[in-house]
Amino acid sequence: MFSRTKKIYFQAVLVVVCSTSVNTVHADKPVIEIEIRDHLFWPSEVTVPANTKVKLLVYNKDPTSEEFESYELNREKVIMGNRKAVIFIGPLLPGVYPFFGEFNPDTAQGKVIVE
Amino acid sequence: MLLTSVVIVLREVLEASLLISVLSALSGVLGIHRRWIGWSLLFGLAGAVGYSFGVAAISDWFDGVGQEVTSAVMQLLIFLLLLMFTFLVAQDPGKQRFSGKLIVLVMAATVSLGVTREGFEILVYLYGFSADLPRFITILSGSVIGACIGISIGALIYYLVSALSYRLSLIAGLGLLALVAAGMLSQAVLLLIQADWLPSQFPLWDSSGWLPESSVTGQLLYALIGYEATPTALQASFYFGGLLLLLIVAVFAVRSREQAS
Repeated sequence: MFSRTKKIYFQAVLVVVCSTSVNTVHADKPVIEIEIRDHLFWPSEVTVPANTKVKLLVYNKDPTSEEFESYELNREKVIMGNRKAVIFIGPLLPGVYPFFGEFNPDTAQGKVIVE
Repeated sequence: MLLTSVVIVLREVLEASLLISVLSALSGVLGIHRRWIGWSLLFGLAGAVGYSFGVAAISDWFDGVGQEVTSAVMQLLIFLLLLMFTFLVAQDPGKQRFSGKLIVLVMAATVSLGVTREGFEILVYLYGFSADLPRFITILSGSVIGACIGISIGALIYYLVSALSYRLSLIAGLGLLALVAAGMLSQAVLLLIQADWLPSQFPLWDSSGWLPESSVTGQLLYALIGYEATPTALQASFYFGGLLLLLIVAVFAVRSREQAS
């Protein structure tokens, strides 16, 4: 009896977990694509709507790895050479949020403008 | 270039070095042999090499957020291990024939995971420059300097914690571990928000004008106690909840050890 209750409970948890992950996958979030080429972000400025969650797709076209980092956005992610990375940002208040490539901070600079 | 690599590597080394120094100081205080440190460093380095080879594939897991999830799981594990460690210290020292071995395993697992996480970032960073020899040498020199500063700070903390009286060593050591653990928990929450597994919120407060995360102090505090200038309510509640939980157990630990000694 006990184990059956436990099993049902486990299934319920599983259903909740699965449905949340399905929701997050299919939710319509704006997608913004950014490329890293020669340790530069292309484009280096992207504009996103305020109060909206946005999916950033960062393609690293350099053979070397880079770390996407932003103190203002509270984001940090290693992107290996010739790979892409998914980074969710927002919802954000209107303003300017700089980001940079931690491995090449002299050149790899960009900003997210929230309007 | 040189300065960037000093800061990057210092930040990573500092987190692991703090864990190692406090746990090894507490080993001494609790009368546990420190043989476990060498082994866990080796395990950690192997883990870091393995993770850096696998990261390209891991990143693609869970629709591109595998890296966040893996890192969050490691940080969550470090939090739980530190909680377990404090619990074991709180146990009656007279009855610890079993927990004596367990406590060594818990410390070794904590350090292995810490070194895996931080070592991975350093390896990926260094590997990125390995094709360009002159630049690589600059980066490597900066990294060595950063690592030496991080290890020195760790050594300083080790001697400070060890030099205190029995009671104060326990308080300082367990207190520092509680801060590190809370930082790990809040980082894990942040990573799961970044992965869109947890709901994201507006920041609870903004202390970036007062103490920016990009400043040297901000970066050091980030590495030591998980400082965030713009945390969300979810992060802050996990941070303070985790901190409170560990501190309560730590108070019991100090009391039970005091009575025993």
